[in-house]
Amino acid sequence: MALDKLYQQLVLDHNRAPRNFGSVAGATHSARGRDALCGDDILVELVVEGDRIVRAGFSGEACAITTASASMLTEWLIGRSVSEFEHAFEQFEQVLANPDEPPCPELGDINELSAVSAFPARVRNALLPWRTAVRALSSPEG
Amino acid sequence: METVESKIRDQINVHTLREQFPVLSREVHGKPLVYLDNAATAQRPLKVIEAMDDFYRRYNANVHRGVHQLSVEASEKFEQSRSAVARLLNATSEREIVFTRGTTEAVNLVANSFVRPKLKPGDEILITHMEHHSNIVPWQMLCEQTGAELKVAPINQRGELILEEFESLISDRTRIIGVVHVSNALGTVNPVGEICAMAKNHGVPVLVDGAQATPHEKVDVQALGCDFYCISAHKMYGPTGIGALWAREELLEAMPPWQGGGEMIQRVSFSGTTYNEIPHKFEAGTPNISGAIGFGAAVEFLEEVGIERIADHEMRLLDHATQAMSKVDGLTIIGQAEHKGPVVSFTLDGVHPNDIGTIIDHAGVALRTGHHCAMPVMEFFEVPATARISFAVYNLHSEIDVFLAGLEKARTMLA
Repeated sequence: MALDKLYQQLVLDHNRAPRNFGSVAGATHSARGRDALCGDDILVELVVEGDRIVRAGFSGEACAITTASASMLTEWLIGRSVSEFEHAFEQFEQVLANPDEPPCPELGDINELSAVSAFPARVRNALLPWRTAVRALSSPEG
Repeated sequence: METVESKIRDQINVHTLREQFPVLSREVHGKPLVYLDNAATAQRPLKVIEAMDDFYRRYNANVHRGVHQLSVEASEKFEQSRSAVARLLNATSEREIVFTRGTTEAVNLVANSFVRPKLKPGDEILITHMEHHSNIVPWQMLCEQTGAELKVAPINQRGELILEEFESLISDRTRIIGVVHVSNALGTVNPVGEICAMAKNHGVPVLVDGAQATPHEKVDVQALGCDFYCISAHKMYGPTGIGALWAREELLEAMPPWQGGGEMIQRVSFSGTTYNEIPHKFEAGTPNISGAIGFGAAVEFLEEVGIERIADHEMRLLDHATQAMSKVDGLTIIGQAEHKGPVVSFTLDGVHPNDIGTIIDHAGVALRTGHHCAMPVMEFFEVPATARISFAVYNLHSEIDVFLAGLEKARTMLA
């Protein structure tokens, strides 16, 4: 059933115990992502050295899908380059837009969020952390 | 057949009444639809659907323009609907009813035609903390453009207006008061009569946002003593895209038109234009004719069922839901006013409203989640969003049980 796929164990686990949750010391890039309609409000913080994201974290209050997506994204981001992230974002958007899209090997666990594609009203939640990370990367601290 | 216990003798047979609402027999995700999002928009009975269908099938024509039979019939029906709305609100005449796209447009009409011309820098507009965005933003825009100031009357933790503070905010600079009759986000029923009496003492006109009131209680604009009353058809079983502004005749007479075009004129030449009489002066362009006809049918539906019987049924649903929800661990009801409409806004510990909405949808239950177009209310209660159930005449007590079971499932899944 679609609902069980959406709220599968991995997503629930990331929601209950989000990874990289809390403020990131020495963040070089950050952005706040808000979805007033849904009531999501998160802060994504990154430490970027050269072209590489060395630390990533998020904080705030959000629904299970946004929280799980942010948790998975920050896990994935650590050690990746900015251009790898940009490429992955395009692929993630594809995964969310089309239920028949085959899993994308680069995205790893994040592919499990493909179940969101069956819930058009929730796609915005899965995307919020990613969109926020894009904005963070385009606006360095201080 | 279920007929629930009632204080009034002549109670509604809800099951029979439900047959008039075709959508209620559909399934959602394989479950019978339980529609609890009535404060967002109610469902339409056959009477409304058929009235609109009949217009398009049998006498579709423009109104007030042709001498041909179809136009005559369309104009008659259109004006009959206006009379129905006048009856609904107990207006003194149908000339006091201006058709609009809905409550929002009615507020904007008053803001631009009545208030704007008299507004000077330093003047004040008074609203309450529990207004819908539609009764905040038009005033904010007006303030930005004129240098006037928006004053906001506070509410208490139960979600009730603090009347003493409200009155203390009325000053000799107050040019209009905007107040919601029934809050869509909290359910609070405001003492509009008292507020109007206070305003009258200070000589300040009052606009009432009545979108959530007309589906649930008898509204009598003369008894309330207000100056403007704004409503939407779709909250009261009518179509979307149509609503009305009621205003006292002398106010409408004195107000300038706010949109120009056809219908609102008597005579046009390049040297000048003579405007039409009220209410047509405020209805530029071809109106939403089928919508108005559906609106009239919705008023007749309310009259046939009887607003007292509707209110009686809905209040029992509200009591049942409030009592049952109060026993749910971790559930907080947002908005506990003594006098409430059939709306219960709530949060559940450990489960975000958005997730409640999705999970419960799969149990067939339609409810609303989010800020309910009342973000200042969410801020006041320090919640990012709430989930909200809201009742209409066709809801069953057994649907509250389906909702509660869905809520329990959401908690089991997520908490």
